[in-house]
Parts: sequence; C-alpha cells; structure tokens
Amino acid sequence: MSGELKDIAHYGPALCVKFSETYPQYTFVAMGPFMQVYNYKTGELINRARVFSANKVHGFNFSKDGAMCVLYGSKSIAFCKTQDLLTREDFSKDEKMFAEWITDAAFSFTGEQVYILTCYNLVVVTDLEGNIQARRNLKNERSILYSGSIKVLSEERVLINAGTVFGGVLIWDLLKQEKIHNLTGHEGSIFYVVVSNNGKYVASCSDDRSIRLWDMESGKQLSIGWGHTARIWNLKFFNNDSQLISVSEDCTCRIWDVVAESGATSLVMKNIYETHLIKNVWGVDVNETEALAVTSGNDGRVKLIDLKQTSRVGDEVRSFNITNLPSNSPLSIEKGEIFKGFYWFNFGLVAITSLGNILKFTEATGTWEILMRDERLVSYSLTHGISTASGNVALFANNKCDLLLLNFSKDGQTIKSKNSLHLDNLSKSCNTMITAYQDEYCLVTVESPNPRDKFAVLQLNVDTLEIVHEFNFAKPDNFVSSCLAVYQQYLIVGGRFGAVAIFDMRNTDADAYVMRQLCPGDTTTSIEYIEERGADILLSVTNRDGFYNFTKVNLDKLASREGIAHEIIHSNKVMKGFLEGAFYNESGEYITYGFKSSLFYMYNEKNCYEIASEVCGGAHRQWKLCDLGDGQGYMLVYIKAAELYMRKIYTAAFPETLESGLHGREIRDISIMPERLPWQYSPENGYLFVTGSEDTTVRLGKYSPETGAVVNYWMERRHVSGLQRLRFISDSLVVSCSAREELFLWTVNTEFQSNPYMHIRQTLPTQSTHPDLRIMDFDVLFNAAGTGDFALATVYSDSSIKVWWYSNASNGFIELWSNRYQTCCILNTSFVVLQGRIFLLIAATDGYLSLYDISREVDILHATEDTRTVRFVNEAFGAIASTSGPAFTLRVHKSGIKTMDVARTKAGAATVRVVTGGDDNAISLTQFNCSASGELSGTVCSMVSDAASSTVTSTQLLPGATQVLSTSVDQRVRLWDITPDNQLSLRASKYTTNADTGCCDIVQTENSHHSLLIAGVGLSVWKC
Amino acid sequence: MGKSSKDKRDLYYRKAKEEGFRARSAYKLLQLNEEFHFLDDEHNLTKVVDLCAAPGSWSQVLSRKMFAEARDVAPEDKKLVAVDLQPMSPIDNVTTLQADITHPKTLARILDIFGNEKADFVCSDGAPDVTGLHDLDEYVQQQLIMSALQLTTCVLKPRGTFVAKIFRGRDIDMLYSQLGYLFDRVVCAKPRSSRGTSLEAFIVCLGYNPPADWEPHLDVNRSIEEFFSGCAMSRLQIADDAERLPAWTDGQRSIAEFMSCGGLQSFDSDATYHYDDEVLASLSDKASLDPVQSPTNPPYKKALELKRSGKLTRAV
Repeated sequence: MSGELKDIAHYGPALCVKFSETYPQYTFVAMGPFMQVYNYKTGELINRARVFSANKVHGFNFSKDGAMCVLYGSKSIAFCKTQDLLTREDFSKDEKMFAEWITDAAFSFTGEQVYILTCYNLVVVTDLEGNIQARRNLKNERSILYSGSIKVLSEERVLINAGTVFGGVLIWDLLKQEKIHNLTGHEGSIFYVVVSNNGKYVASCSDDRSIRLWDMESGKQLSIGWGHTARIWNLKFFNNDSQLISVSEDCTCRIWDVVAESGATSLVMKNIYETHLIKNVWGVDVNETEALAVTSGNDGRVKLIDLKQTSRVGDEVRSFNITNLPSNSPLSIEKGEIFKGFYWFNFGLVAITSLGNILKFTEATGTWEILMRDERLVSYSLTHGISTASGNVALFANNKCDLLLLNFSKDGQTIKSKNSLHLDNLSKSCNTMITAYQDEYCLVTVESPNPRDKFAVLQLNVDTLEIVHEFNFAKPDNFVSSCLAVYQQYLIVGGRFGAVAIFDMRNTDADAYVMRQLCPGDTTTSIEYIEERGADILLSVTNRDGFYNFTKVNLDKLASREGIAHEIIHSNKVMKGFLEGAFYNESGEYITYGFKSSLFYMYNEKNCYEIASEVCGGAHRQWKLCDLGDGQGYMLVYIKAAELYMRKIYTAAFPETLESGLHGREIRDISIMPERLPWQYSPENGYLFVTGSEDTTVRLGKYSPETGAVVNYWMERRHVSGLQRLRFISDSLVVSCSAREELFLWTVNTEFQSNPYMHIRQTLPTQSTHPDLRIMDFDVLFNAAGTGDFALATVYSDSSIKVWWYSNASNGFIELWSNRYQTCCILNTSFVVLQGRIFLLIAATDGYLSLYDISREVDILHATEDTRTVRFVNEAFGAIASTSGPAFTLRVHKSGIKTMDVARTKAGAATVRVVTGGDDNAISLTQFNCSASGELSGTVCSMVSDAASSTVTSTQLLPGATQVLSTSVDQRVRLWDITPDNQLSLRASKYTTNADTGCCDIVQTENSHHSLLIAGVGLSVWKC
Repeated sequence: MGKSSKDKRDLYYRKAKEEGFRARSAYKLLQLNEEFHFLDDEHNLTKVVDLCAAPGSWSQVLSRKMFAEARDVAPEDKKLVAVDLQPMSPIDNVTTLQADITHPKTLARILDIFGNEKADFVCSDGAPDVTGLHDLDEYVQQQLIMSALQLTTCVLKPRGTFVAKIFRGRDIDMLYSQLGYLFDRVVCAKPRSSRGTSLEAFIVCLGYNPPADWEPHLDVNRSIEEFFSGCAMSRLQIADDAERLPAWTDGQRSIAEFMSCGGLQSFDSDATYHYDDEVLASLSDKASLDPVQSPTNPPYKKALELKRSGKLTRAV
C-alpha cells in the first residue's frame, strides 16, 4: 500500500525570466515555486531550486553587483545569494511573507536594502534580513494596481511606476514620497510600466492593446505603438534605451525602435516573433552582448530568440535587381527580361531568365555571369537541381519536351558536362522533375498532359549526364505529378488530389501502385523516405492544403500486387497556412515549411515553434528552398517586387528553447499507455502518454517515472473544440472526445525508430449539427474473442446515452442502443458487469448515479467471466431506441459528479464499488449490489463532504482498489485509504503547483509503486 | 452580452430576454433565493445595497422583489441602492450611484439615502478582468469581495445577509475562514444557472454578527488588512510597528458548507438543448430586440478598429 506522495518534476507557466551580467552564461527562469537555471549556450539545466512552499515565483531582481537576488510571488518574498541559486535545492525555509500582494521588489542602489512594492501602492523598505526600516506611500493613492515597477536610478532617485486599474500611470518619487506624473491616455487596466535605464522615458501598456511612450521630464505622451492583437504583459528597454521589446497574450514578442528625429520621438515596430502557444507570454529579457532575447509563457516554454537571426554571420540577406547585377564584365540583360527560375548550389545560384539566358552567381566573388543562352527555353521554363557527391546538376525544361542539364564542378567554376536533349516519344511536356538516385545517378521524370503518353523516366549518370536507361510507364488515370522521391527500384511520385503513385523500375510493364487521396487536400507537395523496418518502408507525405501523414508501404505486397500495400500510421494538419514540404532534421525533429499568406515559415513540428519566417510575395510567387549543406541550414531564394532575394536560414546559433513547453491552456485529460517502453524513444525506460487540452489539441509524449523527464512527439490538431476526455483503451488504441459530437479512435504505432506515430483510425458517426453537443465521456468493453472489436458507450451533454459496436475488420461503428437520461448533462459513464449482466453506469450534473440494464435490451451482447470483455453474437439486428428508465438511481452528490472510477469486478461478482468526486467538494464511495435475479440496490458507504475546499476533479482507484487518489481545484492531491468497512480515510495530502488541477492518471511501476501524472495548467510527475 | 447563435441556444439567455432581465445572471440570484429565501420577507428587505451592480440584472431582481411583488410595506419606506464605477441605465425604484465602493463618501451617500438606517441585505456580483494568472485573479477577486465587505460591515444591520460572487480557487478556504468571524453561517452556493465548468459560485453569509468590540471605519489611506485589524478575522498582521517580515506560514483555512441552488427541474447550464430551426428563427426575430443594456465600450475598441481595417497585419 502506498503511503507517501512525492513530486518529481513540474512543467507549467513560467512567469519571469532573466539573464544576469554577473553570471553571463546563465538564464534564470521562474517556473511555479521554483527557480530554474540554464546554460543558454548548451540548453543544459544547471539547477532547480524550490523557492516557495506553495506560491509561484512571479518575479525576481538582482542587486546592482549581481551578487544578491530577491524573489517574490503572491504574498511571499525571499532574498538569497545569486550563487546559491546555481547549487542549492531548497530555499523555502527562508521564505518570508507579506500582508498584501507583492507587485515588484528590488534592491536599493547600494544593495543594502530591498524595496517591496505592494498592489496597494505601498513600499516597504527592509534590510537583507527582512527587518522593516521604512514604509512609504503616496497619500490618497491606494487603489489596487495590476502592475508596477521600481526603478533605482541612483542612491537619491528611486521611481515607483504604478499601473492602476483605471488607465492611469502614477510615477512617484520613493524617497520624497511625491507624485511626479499621473500619465493618462490609456484605456483600461495598466498591465506593465517601465522606466528606461537613463530615466528619460516611461513605457506602459494596457488593456487597450497599445504601448505608450512618455517623456519623463514633461510627462507628455511621445508615441503610441499599435500592433499587438491582444493584451500586452511585459516591456523592456534595451540597447541603450534605443529599443523596446514587448510580449503579449497574442503569443508574439515584438521589437520596437525608439526613434528620435526632428524633435519627435516615436515607436516603430521592427520585428515580430511567434514564440508561444495559444495564449500569454509573461516574461521577457534581452542579453545585449549575445543579441539574444528570452521569453517565457503560460505554455511552460522558455524560448530563446536570436535578435541577429538575419545579421549574425553577415550574409543572411542578399537581394539583386536583374537590371543591375554586379559582374566583372557587362551583362547583356534586355529590357523586360525577368528571372524565370533558379536553384542554389554550394557555390552560388544558377538561374534562367525569360529570354533563356542562363546566369550564374558565384557567392565567393559576389558576381554574376551569363553562361549561355538556350533558345528553346525562352518564355516558359522549369528549373530544378540536385547536389550529390558526384556533382551539382541544374535541370531546365520547357513544355515541348526539351531539357537542358548542366553539371557544375564543386566550386561552380566549370561546367563538367552538359546534355541538351529532346524526348521524341512525348507529344508535350507539362512537368519535369529530378532526384538523385544511388550514388552516381539521377532520375529525371517527364510528364505529358496527354493521358495516352507514357510517363517518361530517364536515368542519367551525374558525372557525364549521359542517359544510361530510359523507363516508360503507363500513366495512371487522373494523375498529375507534383513531387518525387526514390527508394531502391521504386520511384515514388506525388500528384494532385492527394495521390501518390509508386512505379517499379524493374517492372515497367506493371501499372503503378496508386494511393489516392492520402490526405484530404489537393496537391502532394513532398515525399520523404524515412526508414525501413523489415519489408516495410515509411514515407512522409505533405499536402499543400496543410495536411501531412506518414504512410507505411509493405514492399512484399507491393511486389506481389496482392491487396492493399500501404497504411497511414500518422496524420495531422499544420497550425495554419499552406504546407510545401517537411523533413526530419539531424536531431530527429520534424520540420515543416510553407506559406501563411505572404509569409514563408519554417516550423519545428515536434516542439511547436517557428524557426524562421520571411515576408515573400503574393500568390504567384517564385521561390525555392535549398540545403546549404553540412548541416549549416537552408537557403530560401524568392522574387519579390522584381527583386531576387537570397535569405540564408542558418542553423540556430543557440538552443531554440530551454524548455519546450506543453499545452498553452489547461489539460483536460491525461492517459498513460499501460505498456512500458524500455528502449524506444527518449527518455529511456518510460511510458508513452497522451494529453487532451482545452486548446483543442491532443499531444503524444513520453515520460520517465524516475527522472520526471518529459518529451513531446506530436501535437495533433484534429479536434475543433476543447477536449473532454481521452484514454488509452489498449496498448495501441486511444479514444478522445469533445464537442460537435467528435469522438476519434486513434491508433498509436510504436514499431518505427524515428518516432511513435498516431493516426485517426475511425470517427464516430454524428447525428446532430448542434455545435455545442458534447460527448462527455465514454467506456469500452473488448470482444472476448480477441478480434479487436469492442462495445463503446458514449454519454452526451444533451442527456443522451448510446452504445455502439466497433468492428475492427470493417473499421466501422454500428449503433446498438440509445436512450435519454433526463435533460441534464451526463458527465461520466462506465460499463459494469454484475451477476453476468451488463449494466451501464452514468453520473450527471444532478448528482445522481444511475444504472441502465443493457443486457435486458441488447441481447446480442453477453457478459463473460472476465468482466472487462463481452461476447458479441453477430445476428441481424437494428439499433434499439430505448425509452425505459434506469434500473436503479441513487443521489450521491449535491451537485454535478465531476469524476467517477469503478473498481474492477471479479467474475460472477454481485457487488461493485464506485468512487466519485463532485462539484460539491465531496468524495464518496458507493456500492451497488445485484441479486441473482437481477434486482439492484445501492448505498453510499462513505461520504466525505469536505474532501476538498473546492471542486473535486478526479478520483482514481489505485490498482487493487484499496486506495483512492483525488485531485481538486484547491490544488491538493490527496491519497485516501478504503478501510475494510468501506470508509474513506485520508492518508496523505500534498500541494500541487498545477492551477486548475483537473486530471490525473496512474500506472503501477516496479516494486508496487505507482507513478502519477497530474495535470491542469501544467503537468507534474509524482509517485506514491 | 453578445448575440451569437450560442447565446440564442442558451436557455437562461433566452429566458432573460423574454422576462426583461439585462443579463442571465438574474437567475443566479433568483435560484439562491429559492434555497435561502432572503428576498421573500418584505419586512426584512426594506434597505438593500447592490454593489458592482452594472449592468443591473441583480438590481432588477431586487426591485421586483422589493417593490413589484411586495404587498405590505409602503414603497416609500424602502430603499434600493445600486453602486458601480460604470454608468448604469435607470431601473424602477433603484437609486444608482456611479461611485467607488472603497471610498468613505460612497458610504456616506448610501447612509444618507437610507436616512441613517442600516441595510438588511448587501450583495455583489462583481468580478474583475481575468489575466490568466490564476493566483493573481483569485487574489484580485478576493480583494474585490473584501472591499465589498468593508462597506458591508459599515452598512449592514446585525443579522443581515451578505451575498457575493466567488471563484473557488486555491485559497477560497481562507476566505471562508475569515467570513466565519463576521457571520453566523457561511454557505458556498452554486446555482444551476452557473455553469458547472466555471469556478464561479456564491458565498451566502447569513446572520451578520461582528465582534462586539470592533468598530469598522473606512479610510482611503488604510488597506483592507488594516481595516479588518482588530477584528479577529485578519489573517496576518504586519502591524504598523512590526519590525520584521514574518516567516511564511499557511493561512487559516476552513471549508464552507456547500449547497446547490435551483431545483433539478430548472435548466442545467451545462446541458445542450435542441430546438428546431423554426424556434431559433422566431428567436432571432425576438432577439433583434437588443439587450436592454447596450454593450459597454471595451478598452481595446481602437485596437479592434485598427485590426478590422487591416492595420495590424504582420508587415515586418
């Protein structure tokens, strides 16, 4: 039996983040009640120190010499040596308390005193021992503040900058206790005020979503900065007060220039960075030496932003106008001649113009030259390229089956070989593509718009550009090629309408194996071979409409042409915009890229952040993304307003995150995969788990019960409303449900090395168009025959109840039975088998538990000896719309039953124990009995009406059903024993740092210990 | 309150429209009264204060109970005062004050209207803007309740009733504990019209019974902590002459009795109700009556205008 609750790790909102000049290699992060210190150059966590017992650290400041740190949050405050934050584990015994909310705390100029500003605009001055030396305030200015900061300019001048709830910014002199300014102009509550380091400016932000810059001398408003689309939470001056950085609820971080010219000072937005998920960036700081910003948010992410992303090396951004290209000898560019295509190689760019001129830009010299002119390529041309060990090949093609291939030397100085050819067997050509093949070859595909023409594939030697082989395939019906990949003898071609076709180059007579509509979207934009496992290969496929998936193809089946050879094992949709391609980077992170209206983006799909973005042209943009080689990064070439741009996106100079973070909003449900995965995927020897959040996403991750390390793999964006419940119903199946009657059956695949994968296998049929109709909970009973079929019960917010049968073979849900409880919302359901009869237990907002006798009405479902399986008698049947009431009801709670767990019954059992938790702060243990004749009775054995001081959100029986773990909104985790006489008795209670504590899951680890995941706004790993 | 189709499907919203209430929150007070009957004895409901009253749905309920549905007590002997920082459109029999509830002048004006008599009932349905920082939001809400309570202790007669909106977060038990020093009975009540998914509930404090030796005194330069010092409820004293910040200790906590209000036959605000399209169509006709109280100007109105005119697009 477990006795002690122990917390191992915590991930949640990070409210404050700072660099230190004294410890220049570190970033200090306040996360929950902890201070976490990272080496920002390596990303390594140096130390995690508990600062407060329960309160969160909202902010901290260093003394001028950096030796001391003051930390505050809520009504708690602590002082410590900065050095100790790097090594000590626990400071909480030094925690001091205050009567009121602390808005800011800072050291005096000499560092001998601490100023503590409360939300009532009072400053208490203490020494470093906490001895109070003075109290200072402004007479008649004690209304509550949402924000405030202390600016220590000198020993004599200390400014208190108070943001009131009514739009006013009060600046007052601490030592003189005199008002300097009451700055008015904002609307709504002021959320941050800061004074520049030289004392010249004040910057403030409010509910009106503007940043205002004020002159300290005159109190005049100098400028208004509009741009953020939601509330702004934090501001900081940097670069000698010439720049300002802001963070907001809109998840962005923005850089503003403070421009003083011709007598006017204005704020000009310079850059925008998408940094966090869903909502709220709280903390921000800038390391001026490194030109590095750091932000922290509600999603628990600590994000580093390279402020010199486009200038750190110096050659990141280049642009050219065709009429004015630098060169050693004059270039004969005609009026109206424009770039039609280009490809980047290690030595530079090869481009073609509308007059068929082929140009080369050499990066080393920065100059352009015209290499040749090809009359055939005037007006219409396509450009592609490949870089392999054997050469750099540029391919140009027109729509009349003409090709020009050039092989450049490594340094680009010489054209090693050239092939200018025409394909006679095609009437016309509409798309030509190239891919590297084996070590010394490349494959060129030429497609004709004429369906009777063959799909032509040329195998060329890269070095000589001579054709070694020609393949001609029959073109599949309705197939228009759009992208290309090759694996062994298989040519894999993506096309329109979400299609991918596989051609076997060893068997050109055979029809292509065509996978139609792999994604719901139209044009397939990229195909990448990922890995092989036995006879299976794994492909990543992207679609312009934002969908991507991973498809497993069985080569044996492909060769034998028997049945379906492919299976989608992962599918998802990007957050926003068009998807042009995706690949795994060297760290095994899946990187997507594409466009969001005029913005090009690269996005880390694993950890969910933008890597880079670039404002490109509109709809008919010309662009290419090429590899810089040697893991250096990528080159984006594009044309915007007649200029040719070359933008290098270098591999980040610093880690991109110090913590990758979880969901941006509260986690509604969490479930651990029962089977431990000793080796697959990092962290080792952990469990896969899924979380469902109010932010509408489902995440798949893995955690280690011992170290508490958590790694995220995917964020699935298929639900359109906030999740209600989700659960692993077996080692490979997950069910999730939400509003709009959404219920998805997911398959989790762990057979590949690259990642675990998940895919929606089937969705439950819907019956209403009511957007608010929520599936609140579900339960399953598997087919005892081991077919993978199962009975599914669903309960709804409109009081309806349904029982379905899922057939694994036909991959479909059939409705068996439906009923309606009352008109109130049903919150929980579970199948219960008693005396060999199947009952459905439901719990609703009215506080009642009710049992429906399913066996009486659905005669094709039979209970088995194992009470968690059923037998299904597959006879002809129709869906039963039952109107009979529950067989038994019992009022247990005064208000909604938020959570319910049912003890597993033994074969032939006549009784079952149910533990519930309610909105009424109560936890109860109820027992239901069923007589041999099927008569039901029930009693509440134990009722703890003050089990928590607010809503109980989860009650879970530990394996063995002799203990219960509860979580509640009062942020306490409680462990209850069930005594032999069926009474609940509190064994342990411990505070959790997750606000809105909503859910937990338990798995039994070795030595009969239990590992717990507790979630709300944040996630904690515990054991008991 | 907006007019989206979701609102139209909200039965309490529809009912509020039909019955002329400015907001669906009127039913929260009515359902609290179904359980506690604090609005049913008109002899003990002659002086009433509604704090943080805008847009005024609670004042509407109170006005109906005190005046429209009253039989025995003459209307001139009753006073109903509604206080808010925001302007409020007039309601029959309600004296509206646009004022700060923490200011002594406001107290003086109320006592003046009451002819220096004390109130039978004080309520507050106020809530601050939430930031998303749970602990700050809970603190500010508790400060709002304490501000309302400051004024209440100055105007409420002994055995009077105080009702206020709360959010049942982490430290709500500390508030229960404090209120227990001032009232005979403290109940946490959840009306069926308040969504189960929301942390919102109401604190119903019955039988005002302050310590005999404590005299409340409002002063703008005194904090809430200072106001309640001397009354045993103050949790932490950092008195003016304190010399040191004390070490942290968890505050005193107690769990209040919980009560669900509004019969099970009343609408469940978490449930989904179905109507056919005709019903919804007829509703949209009716709903073209704007809410009685026009929506307030949000502070970010200008930002919304800029966004709509395409001026906040990502150009850099």
